[in-house]
Amino acid sequence: MSTPAVRFKGVTKRFAGHVAVKHLTMEVPAGGIFGLLGPNGAGKSTSIRMMMDIIEPDDGAITILGSEASARDLSNRVGFLPEERGLYKKMKVLDHLIFFGEVKGIARGEAKRRAGAWLERLGLGAWTDKKIEDLSKGMQQKVQFAGTLLHDPELIVLDEPFSGLDPVNSQVMKDVVIDLAKQGRTVLFSTHIMEQAERMCDHIVIIARGEKVVDGTLSEIKSEFGGRHVALGFSRDKERATRVLADRNLVAKVDDYGASADLELADGAEAEALLEALVREGVGLRRFEVVEPSLQSIFIAKVGDAGVAARSESEAA
Amino acid sequence: MNKTFAIIRREFTERVRTKAFLLSTFGLPVFMVILLVLPVVMMRGSDRTLHVAVVDATEGGETGVGTRIVEALERRTIKKGELPKYKVEHVIPGMRTIDAVRDSLIAQTTGEGPDRLDGVLVLPAGTLLDGSTEYFGTNVGSMEAMGELQGTISGIVTSSRLEAAGVDGSVVSRAMRQASMRTVKVSDGEVTGESGAASFLLAYVMGFLLYIAIILFGQQTMLSVIEEKNSRIMEILASSLRPFQMLMGKVLGVGAVGILQMAIWGGTIFLLGKNRGAIGSLFGLPADAMAAMPIPTIPTDLLVVFLLYFALGFLVYGALFAAVGAMVNSTQEAQQAATGVTMLIVVGFFGTFAVIKDPTSGLGAILSLIPFTAPFVMPVRWSMASVPLPQLAMSLAVMVLGLMAVVWLAAKIYRTGILMYGKKPSLGEVFRWIRA
Repeated sequence: MSTPAVRFKGVTKRFAGHVAVKHLTMEVPAGGIFGLLGPNGAGKSTSIRMMMDIIEPDDGAITILGSEASARDLSNRVGFLPEERGLYKKMKVLDHLIFFGEVKGIARGEAKRRAGAWLERLGLGAWTDKKIEDLSKGMQQKVQFAGTLLHDPELIVLDEPFSGLDPVNSQVMKDVVIDLAKQGRTVLFSTHIMEQAERMCDHIVIIARGEKVVDGTLSEIKSEFGGRHVALGFSRDKERATRVLADRNLVAKVDDYGASADLELADGAEAEALLEALVREGVGLRRFEVVEPSLQSIFIAKVGDAGVAARSESEAA
Repeated sequence: MNKTFAIIRREFTERVRTKAFLLSTFGLPVFMVILLVLPVVMMRGSDRTLHVAVVDATEGGETGVGTRIVEALERRTIKKGELPKYKVEHVIPGMRTIDAVRDSLIAQTTGEGPDRLDGVLVLPAGTLLDGSTEYFGTNVGSMEAMGELQGTISGIVTSSRLEAAGVDGSVVSRAMRQASMRTVKVSDGEVTGESGAASFLLAYVMGFLLYIAIILFGQQTMLSVIEEKNSRIMEILASSLRPFQMLMGKVLGVGAVGILQMAIWGGTIFLLGKNRGAIGSLFGLPADAMAAMPIPTIPTDLLVVFLLYFALGFLVYGALFAAVGAMVNSTQEAQQAATGVTMLIVVGFFGTFAVIKDPTSGLGAILSLIPFTAPFVMPVRWSMASVPLPQLAMSLAVMVLGLMAVVWLAAKIYRTGILMYGKKPSLGEVFRWIRA
């Protein structure tokens, strides 16, 4: 197996009063798209900032691209899009991109050529001589995105890359990210939008309250979580299902959406038994399907786990 | 190193391109030329021939004092050239009273056309006796014109009296020739061609320029750090460059802008001083009038010392201001946090006054050896007294050492501060950053 692009080993970061990241150990495999998921305040950005050597971990070690050197010394091989975007408002678009290229160690002429190419690709060709402040927010984000990729990095780290983008621009960014992965680069991005991660990521780590709660490829995670979910669609007499759904021998958990519901089967219960019980009660069914759990439901199940929260809080104190 | 250069280049080009920079950098030299030329232009009076009526009640006839004054006025030319300075109408009141004639002539000082008068000179009957004449004119505000008119009249009156007393005419004209004196400043055993007031002015202007420029460019450095912090562009920079590279790039970039501006300003004064004659003739001004202007000539060595100390001084204060910028989150906080740095600058600035008062005092020598005051005091001392070379070398050595210490300190604060958001750190916390 090739060297992982990023390796966290027992990384801990404390801020005044709380532990932001706690004994985080994970590996980002080289190549492909890696999703770092978690609710707000889970420690995603802190982990990424430690990865980029912007802040130092209190404990543990982070290895980037198999090298002992810090991400800053490898910055010509790493592209980074911070969560809070920042650009010099008064600078012209092209000049700004050239500057980004230069601080990553690209010669000026080459940086200019690449900046022009990226601006064309992202549909900003007409804006090269405009000032950043004259651009819309979405356009500024694209400029920043181009700046992240200008030096052709092997490892691309994107902190919440899709936040604040309209669907069209989001699509453009997604295509670029998929393209990068196809070229054999490693893309790591953080998000709290599960649908996006589910569609794009090969490998996922979910962290909550600074701790890793899920780690694996998407299919591993889903099979581990179990194919024990049933999606129901009601056509009539939904109220007759109430008793069946409340039966803890059959159903462990219900996510009721009114005309439909997501169920998690109880341990030992069979889907067939559930179907039989519903038919016996005379519930009109439009849909009965045994489904893979969505990342969203896994996320909620794992992150909503009160145990994790309580444990990390008691240890932080 | 290339990365640091990218920061320097960005800081430099983005600043030099702003309207404010272009306006101040090139506006001041233009302003200085205007300042140089305008007073001469104004003092010289107008170039046109003045139309003057002389009401002559002296009743001296063809050889009387009135006629002689008229003739003397008609002989005067503009700038010793061809054009007559005065077009004179010799009016003898005859049967009318002086006042009536005068008033009718004064009425002619309005309107346009060739008959319009600029003024009316009244020579009463007792002119030769008590020398009291009157002039009613639209140009009485011009000191030079009035002085010259009075000088001409006075000379004729005096020589007429002498001749009336029996002195030979040729003796009178020789005796009346005035003595003149040219004033020239000598510096370093060389004639500089500048007036005494100019060297004082130079010291003041230099002290002021240093004070304004270091505060201004220092605050620009601070504000740009705060901008980077607030726009979070700092995170991208911090993931690509070392804090020391970022700090040096910023300070050197802003410093280069400052040096450029100071060089243009200093160079302008330097060139104006050296070529004042040429500039004067460009505007058609007499060379002697230009030489009297209080535009100092800057010796080349002073220009070098000035720019050197500005550069070193800015680096010291720029690094300090950058560190302050790294500590705070907003410009409001910054003003307060920068008070300490500003105080140091003010102390240095007041030091220049002490030096101007007594250029050879021990205080000046001491202030030249403190890195925070030397940038202000040393150039001023250099301009006013000859500073021994060992003292200059010593001062420069202390400056360089102080600079290194300040940059080291600032880099420590900068490293931690740029990524700190939220509340302003206490002094204790800042000390912890430095120790870390």
